[in-house]
Amino acid sequence: MITSQFRTARPETGRQARGRVRLGEHNLAGYLFIAPWLIGFFAFTFIPIAASLVLAFTNYNILSPLPHWVGVRNFERMFSHDPRYWVSVRQTFYFAFTSVPLKLAFALALAMLMTAPRRLVGVYRAAYYLPSIVGANVAVAVMWRQIFGTDGVVNAVLATVGLPAHTSWLGNPATAVWTVIALAVWEFGSPMLIFLAGLKQIPAELYEAAAIDGAGMLARFTRVTLPLLTPIIFFNFVVQMIFGFTVFTSAFIISNGTGSPLDTLLFYPLYLYQKGFRDFEMGYAAAMAWVLLVVTALLTALIFKSSRYWVFYAQEEG
Amino acid sequence: MPKLGRREFLRIAGLAAAAAASVRYAPGSPALAQTPLTLRIMWWGSKNRHDRTIKVLEMYQAAHPGIKFTYEFTGFNDYWTRLATQAAGGNLPDIIQQDYARLVEWEGNRLMVPLDDFVKDGTIDLSRVPKVSIDGGRVNGKLYAINLGNNSQSILLDTDAFKRAGVPLPDQKWTWQDFEQIVLTFRQKQGIFGAGYEFSDQQVWKSLYIARGQWVFSRDGRSLAVADDGPFVEHLKMLLRLQKAEAIPSLQQEISEYHQNIEAQPIVQGKAAMSYQWSNQAVAEAAAAGKGRNYKLVHLPRPKGGKPSNYLKPSQFFSITSHSKHPKEAAAVIDYFTNSVEANRVLMAERGVPIAPKIQEALKPLLQPVELETVRYVARVQTDSSPLPPPDPEAFAAFQNNVFNPLVRDAVLLGKISPEEGAKVLRAEGNRVLAQKS
Repeated sequence: MITSQFRTARPETGRQARGRVRLGEHNLAGYLFIAPWLIGFFAFTFIPIAASLVLAFTNYNILSPLPHWVGVRNFERMFSHDPRYWVSVRQTFYFAFTSVPLKLAFALALAMLMTAPRRLVGVYRAAYYLPSIVGANVAVAVMWRQIFGTDGVVNAVLATVGLPAHTSWLGNPATAVWTVIALAVWEFGSPMLIFLAGLKQIPAELYEAAAIDGAGMLARFTRVTLPLLTPIIFFNFVVQMIFGFTVFTSAFIISNGTGSPLDTLLFYPLYLYQKGFRDFEMGYAAAMAWVLLVVTALLTALIFKSSRYWVFYAQEEG
Repeated sequence: MPKLGRREFLRIAGLAAAAAASVRYAPGSPALAQTPLTLRIMWWGSKNRHDRTIKVLEMYQAAHPGIKFTYEFTGFNDYWTRLATQAAGGNLPDIIQQDYARLVEWEGNRLMVPLDDFVKDGTIDLSRVPKVSIDGGRVNGKLYAINLGNNSQSILLDTDAFKRAGVPLPDQKWTWQDFEQIVLTFRQKQGIFGAGYEFSDQQVWKSLYIARGQWVFSRDGRSLAVADDGPFVEHLKMLLRLQKAEAIPSLQQEISEYHQNIEAQPIVQGKAAMSYQWSNQAVAEAAAAGKGRNYKLVHLPRPKGGKPSNYLKPSQFFSITSHSKHPKEAAAVIDYFTNSVEANRVLMAERGVPIAPKIQEALKPLLQPVELETVRYVARVQTDSSPLPPPDPEAFAAFQNNVFNPLVRDAVLLGKISPEEGAKVLRAEGNRVLAQKS
């Protein structure tokens, strides 16, 4: 094995060697070793993805197993004949563009507090990271329902300070979406850790130099911390944005799968799920999934493109 | 090294294959021995129902050593998702619990087998069962589903609360005007809700028209059939008035609380004097409320001078799916649920009032007060009800989930649009969704 690897790595014999090795016995053993993964990948990832692309152009209904080709009719219906579709698009954008900045701001603020060399800082880091480990799962969403229920903790606290305590946080269209945003923000742990790593890489002498030049706290933050942190912000922003567009569990549990009140929790993935697994219109759901993929990819590409104007890489300067 | 590795690999592979083969063909292994025939059965329901049903299946197994059951159960919503997935995979259970609302959809997709032959040859004995209790399971003249019990929409009255407020119990021919008056009285006199959740449910909407001798959907199920929005608009306006007076829980409260367990129902907590439910569900509510409380069931209110809003409905069915390899054995199990006294002593009318008269008689002395009241209530409905409407159209679930609930009920009762606009949306979007299904 080792010798064959060396052989393929040698540039002059590269092409020849590769050809021989592919047919050779050594590679067979290699493929057999990764066969479990390959089988899993093809059976559970690649083939279903390919199938969903085909299904997007059919009227496949789970109950009647014979799909018919309908061309682009699913997409037509989505864009011009389905009022709830656009509601779900609007709510998803609303959710992503409010929850992600809030979460990142929160994560950065806490990461900065954590960099200070205090006692027990490790404990705090672990404690604040915990929500992310348990977050985004069913149990937490169920707990969230309890917290914001009419007889929940939030109203109980409001009652003790004499504020109106009978708000139906989850039933009121104005507040329901914010309970889900709050849940997303609460899961700030992983961007916080990444910020923490980024903050530690900023050389201390830059702060010293800035301080000597008379920069205050705010100036040091805006002139030193933020610019040097932009690659990290960029990374977190991309990852969290993708997360924001695919949020499902919290909205599903909190609205009991309905997206109510007034479809304010009808995020795109939830509506997709409703179409596929409740109304059984798998063809339509597959079409929705592909639109989501394309839009998310475009948006990510847009963020990447924009990065040239605001992301600062220290080594470029050198 | 590589060679050795390959040989090693082959050796292990050979061993694994031999092991697999020995498991498969070993004498005495399940595949070759005289195995009991396995029937798969699936139902939805509460824990109470699961326990009772499993017990009955075990009793059946004990009496029939040739039969073994594997069973699955879930709540109502997951149930249909799970079944649909299995339908797509071609591995539906032999017996499924079936709902009146889904019969047409399932028949249209040919997922059930007709049971007429099993009834004819006596595998399922329906000889003493009144026709009205059988026909709900027919689609296009063929019997696809055996009714597990009858129920009807009902209003559960907390008779103690009525006594405290000095309000006389309503007559079974009461009207929606009477209802509104009584509900407001409870708010004023007792400071509690007059009634609980779900008065904006699609079932109530249908009943508004049933009481006027109409069915909301057209014969082919592809459009809405009612010409007059008036009754629905009036009903929504009444709910808005009651909601504003805080005489019923607002839809906001309903959404934030309702999907929790039955213990959260206002009547269970003593926060409301009445509640709306299918009559068999009253048993669970009364059980959740605890001992020492008294109830009565009464008809759904009707319009002034109208017909009954109620009809006798098969609460649920058993059907045999077209994937079953043992339909005859499955039919015998359905007969056991329908006609066995010992089985029904365990089931205790939890799925609605049993359709076989001899079972009803056998159960009566064993029933708790509320259970007995549901049996008596269903008898009262039998003599004062509208005919059973046709099953819901094929696109009904899509209609309810995508139009009625989010765009009409929620939008009107959360104050986004007026009741008149709601009726318009129901017409426009409803007709579109109903026509859409292939």
